[in-house]
Amino acid sequence: MKRTWRIVAIGALVVVLVIALTPYLWLVMTSLKSRLDALADTPVWAFTPTLEHYPKVFLDKEYLPLVVNSLVVACASTVLSLLIGVPAAYVFARHDFRGKEDLFFFFLTTRMAPPISVVVPMFLLFGFVGLIDTRASVILAHSTFNLSLVVWMMRGFFADIPREVDEAGQMDGLTRAGTFLHLLLPLAAPGIAATAVLCFILSWNEFLYALILVAFESRTLTVGIPGLVTPHGTLWGQVAAVAVVATLPIIVFTFLVQRHLVRGLTFGAVKG
Amino acid sequence: MGVAFKDVTKVFADGTVALDRFSLDFEAGEFVVLLGPSGSGKTTACRILAGLEQASSGTIEVAGRDVTNLPPRDRDMSMVFQNYALYSHKSVYDNIAYPLRVRRVPKAEVDGKVQAVARLLQIDDVLRRRPRQLSGGQAQRVAVARALVWRPGICLMDEPLSNLDAILRLQTRTELKRLHNELKTTFVFVTHDQEEAMTLGTRIAVLNQGRLVQFEAPREIYHRPASRFVAEFIGRPAMNTLDGRIDDGVFRAGDFALPVARRDAGPAVLGIRPEHIVPHLSARDGAVPCRLDVLELVEPDVLLFVDCGGHPLVVRSKADSIEPTEGQELFLEIPADQVHLFDPDTGKRRP
Repeated sequence: MKRTWRIVAIGALVVVLVIALTPYLWLVMTSLKSRLDALADTPVWAFTPTLEHYPKVFLDKEYLPLVVNSLVVACASTVLSLLIGVPAAYVFARHDFRGKEDLFFFFLTTRMAPPISVVVPMFLLFGFVGLIDTRASVILAHSTFNLSLVVWMMRGFFADIPREVDEAGQMDGLTRAGTFLHLLLPLAAPGIAATAVLCFILSWNEFLYALILVAFESRTLTVGIPGLVTPHGTLWGQVAAVAVVATLPIIVFTFLVQRHLVRGLTFGAVKG
Repeated sequence: MGVAFKDVTKVFADGTVALDRFSLDFEAGEFVVLLGPSGSGKTTACRILAGLEQASSGTIEVAGRDVTNLPPRDRDMSMVFQNYALYSHKSVYDNIAYPLRVRRVPKAEVDGKVQAVARLLQIDDVLRRRPRQLSGGQAQRVAVARALVWRPGICLMDEPLSNLDAILRLQTRTELKRLHNELKTTFVFVTHDQEEAMTLGTRIAVLNQGRLVQFEAPREIYHRPASRFVAEFIGRPAMNTLDGRIDDGVFRAGDFALPVARRDAGPAVLGIRPEHIVPHLSARDGAVPCRLDVLELVEPDVLLFVDCGGHPLVVRSKADSIEPTEGQELFLEIPADQVHLFDPDTGKRRP
């Protein structure tokens, strides 16, 4: 009986994996195919791999700076969201004040409006302060959604730390701020790492805000891909090459913190 | 470091009155036990003294100084928590050294102090470990070491033994007593366990419903309980109490009758501890007849649950001194000087 279930479960997993990974495998293959192979009427599985698309798009077409842009934007918006969101989450977890739960819910409501409805006013606001087509505008825009994520996830992580730890710290001579800086932050470090990775991935993958807010030097990698759809046809090989590079940091980071991610998304956020 | 609670009241946000005009005075060097059932306010009193909780009204003085509004770090107190609250990201050594470092004790002195307190508590062989690698008893010692390493004026302990198993609890109890004798630090110890209180305290403060009921040495608490509540709370099994009335120097409750030295007539509660009653197999002068209901052997003692004219009583006796059978008639000798009388309305002890 147990054995049967095991086989069923493994079978289901295989099906899910095939469905999930086939497109990615196809993407990697396309990035290595010649133009002819990529556009063949019947899909080609056996082909002579070529590496021509990678240097062409990243060096000749100068897409390399876009990788830097994406990195800068993702890192900066992650750091900014953490700097504001982590102390806020601490306050939500440890202090009581009037309207606390309402304010907490307000952070969630910032994510309820469809981004497309926010992006036009955002474009006008950034135009007003002269930030259009700068990395700063995308960093700020991405921080708007990352901030609520940080607050919601980190509150749970702080709540998981027994209050007695704060109190022991106070008895040992720390101020309230001291207990936060010297005890709670180190104890919540795994949670902060998991949250940071999630922020990074969300910002790294984001397309809409970046598309509207930047056009030239400050373009991120995701915004760069549509530039390969030319009037003379889509350069599938190069699109795939950029996409493969774009997925690398996500794969790496996810493997690094997958244990904490699961914990953060289940325990952390729900308990809040 | 004398401590004085002056009319301290604590009302929580949900309206619960944890302390109700609570007043308590004690001297430096004492081992004060705050004892009471759950919800009596003992933990709240301890946390208010620590500064972790703010009093709703009233003041706290330490060594004549008003500390009511001081933060915990300025009160010269340390605390051992029920769940130990060790810093799981630091080694045992760093846990113990932490209060010294926060208080900017010169680096050169830190190591000596940590090693000394670790030796005192016999944890010098686990200093390199992480808290999660410790047994419950070791974690408890580390928490005590962290609380004593910087030699605070007062060491507070909130039910520190309740997470230990029975044998370890007894050992640690004895060691706390030894620590107090050696260090002469003032200890304030919160517990609901009357046995812990009786063995550890130089004085016991019994709390009930947010009020101080009695504050005296263990002997006094046991022999002269100030109220029916204290009488029934201290001692295992609990003191027998009978509701009745005194007429013509005789206390009567139903068929139960016992001459008492007092003359003033009226309703009264009579209390007698199980261990003060002497059971006999044959009738004798002044002994109260009863029937043995259940017998429990608690070597080397025996507990006799008897029925005295409709009133259940418990008698504790040496197991080898009497061997009755259940259902047999017994005669209880109740020494007049061990009888307690309480007011039925207020519960207070009658002088």
